[in-house]
Amino acid sequence: MAKLESFLGYSIAVLSGLIAIITFPAIGALAEPFITTTGLTLSPNYTGGEVKQMIDHGGYRTQVHRMVFDDTLIGERKEGFIQVNWTPLGALPARIDEEIDADGDGQADFRVEVNTANKETTLTPYAAWVLGLDGTYKLEESLMIRVRLRNTSR
Amino acid sequence: MAALTVPARSPRLAVWKALLIFAPMVLITLFLWVPKFTTGDPLITIVVALTWITFSALFFLMLITGKTHRYRSILFILVAISLPIEFIPWMIKTYGSMALTNEIMYSGGASFCPLTMPMVIVPALLKRVVIFPGELLPTGAHGAFAVMFIIWVGATLSLGRGWCSWGCFYGGWDEFFSRLRKKPLIKHQQIDRRWIYLPFGILLAIVLLSAITFAPIYCEWLCPFKIVTEFQAPATILAIIQIAIFIVLFIALVIVLPLLSKRRIQCGLFCPFGAMQSFFNKLNIFGVRIDPDKCSECELCLHTCPTFSLDEGSLASGKPLITCTKCAQCIDTCPKNAISYHIKGTPLKASPAVARVLYLYPAYILLLSLSGETVAPALLRILKLITTGSLL
Amino acid sequence: MMQGFLLGLANGTTCLAYCIPVLVPFLLQEGRNVRQNLVTMLKFLGGRLGGYVIFGLVAWATGNMLVAAANHQGLVIGTAYVGLSVLLLVAVLRKPVPTPGACAVRGAQTTFSRWPALLPVGMGFLAGLRICPPLLLAFADAANTRTLAGSLILFLTFFLGSSIYFVPLSFLGTWAHVSDLRLVGRFAAVIVAVYYLFSGILLFAGGV
Repeated sequence: MAKLESFLGYSIAVLSGLIAIITFPAIGALAEPFITTTGLTLSPNYTGGEVKQMIDHGGYRTQVHRMVFDDTLIGERKEGFIQVNWTPLGALPARIDEEIDADGDGQADFRVEVNTANKETTLTPYAAWVLGLDGTYKLEESLMIRVRLRNTSR
Repeated sequence: MAALTVPARSPRLAVWKALLIFAPMVLITLFLWVPKFTTGDPLITIVVALTWITFSALFFLMLITGKTHRYRSILFILVAISLPIEFIPWMIKTYGSMALTNEIMYSGGASFCPLTMPMVIVPALLKRVVIFPGELLPTGAHGAFAVMFIIWVGATLSLGRGWCSWGCFYGGWDEFFSRLRKKPLIKHQQIDRRWIYLPFGILLAIVLLSAITFAPIYCEWLCPFKIVTEFQAPATILAIIQIAIFIVLFIALVIVLPLLSKRRIQCGLFCPFGAMQSFFNKLNIFGVRIDPDKCSECELCLHTCPTFSLDEGSLASGKPLITCTKCAQCIDTCPKNAISYHIKGTPLKASPAVARVLYLYPAYILLLSLSGETVAPALLRILKLITTGSLL
Repeated sequence: MMQGFLLGLANGTTCLAYCIPVLVPFLLQEGRNVRQNLVTMLKFLGGRLGGYVIFGLVAWATGNMLVAAANHQGLVIGTAYVGLSVLLLVAVLRKPVPTPGACAVRGAQTTFSRWPALLPVGMGFLAGLRICPPLLLAFADAANTRTLAGSLILFLTFFLGSSIYFVPLSFLGTWAHVSDLRLVGRFAAVIVAVYYLFSGILLFAGGV
């Protein structure tokens, strides 16, 4: 028994050395399968959640993400947000004026006017559960706003 | 404490034995670093060669002198100091400053570090969601989640909490300041041993709070090492408070207290990632053992252990606490050579030299691998600074 | 009656999740066995019930507290957070041999040794004031019942349904004999308390 334990001990010790050797080279081969197999995603608090609507305006595209209330471990929050991105296909217009249907019921829930040069934004809520503008952000490839919402679905 | 006797001879290796152990390591590490040597850029080849030669030379000295801690410490500190030399200019070149704005976070631009593991585990397991504003897969930026996760798993499987003395690219800061003074101003007896439970308390608190708030609480509020990497932009009063906190924590836990106590205070008495790694020490095949036949109970090891992992109970039981980072300071300090690396399952008296070599292999490979991502790029930046006048 | 109970059952895990950061460190640092923890849990739940009864009364009285509460939620939750953090800190600091470096709060020692139930009951009450999402659901339903009895019954049955999930926490007492865990619990409790104190002040300031 003692000999078996010793043998196992030394074997695992050697294996540890092998694991250390292959760890860094294995990153390239393992990284993508790891993410795909586990189905891990980044928190919607950072990504804004999946894109629900894409509206092509010719020179630019509007991407309306889903409403995010579920960036919590269990259940949903009582307040959340919706993210809207404008991605230029050529260049963004100087001014964007658009009505957004947040809950996908076919009716606009708020109107947003954005000066794309200085990010000055005016939000006009059409529904009581649209609480206000969280911020306007200039990302590398798009302009983005987040609008705070109250969770009325529950 | 008994008066020290003349120290026993350190377990030096004969040259031929050292070369026998060194040769395979040379082959392995050269093989691993072939892509780094063959980029085609002569400057990169020079810095990679310099890094490899330095690390290899110190590893050889480690083998031939039998002194692990002294040379490990130099390499460990080099890795830590190199990180900001490489990372901060990269942040400035890519984003304009070290500060993370909302834009950067919403673009997934924050770099993932292993210290976030305790916080992301519960949401990842229960909801398959990573609560960090970074990337899942590498797209050329530093620190994608998948990369750090794989490194963490590999290091943890092979070393357990040995990560904290052989892998962590922050711990070297703590170690550096703890080695500056010759004698401690805050003596070992003056530090209440119950503080060793603080990292575990922090671990429990951040795991619970991060799971409930879905935010990386330690990163936002407590991590002192944001000062050498990246931090939230001071755009709000809240962010300014958070910045003030981490500056104070870095100065206190990484500079002042280690300087005064000659201990790794941040690593031993604060870091929740280290606390988490301690549990993996129970599973790891490598440990540290004290031979009761050789031990004279002089307690020198207790007074020098940088992470407070040895106490009177350790001398009685023959092994350190689970918080042991396998740094080898006690091994090198012991005047009776009573302490050694040990492979679980093997007899206590089984050749400690073999256990040492079998441990040094994965430990050194990990350290060298990390140096390729920190020391070599940092050297390159320093050379660029000398030749072009800019770190960027 | 069944409606409230089923609502509590369906959403109790969320209630538990909101209370866990406070409860787990608190129970660990108390260092009590399973049976004693169960008694502490019952006291905590009793305090929570008190909070819910008040909400039941208010929901009946105002009929549509949901809208009114929205404007003052920051004040209520902020106050609850601050109170909760104070109680948690007192729980840690009242012990004769507290965390190293801290001195025992003598006044708190006397008060809470005379009325030991005060701590878990108070914490349960303040936790109940935190207006978690399941509570808002119950709110909305209670506001529609129109009778005091209906409103109270709905909250009471909701409370019963959701409380089932709290009972397993008593099993933290299995490790009551491990003194190391008590220390870990104390440190964790202090950190959680400071976090909630800070959050409460921010919420309160935002509400004002």
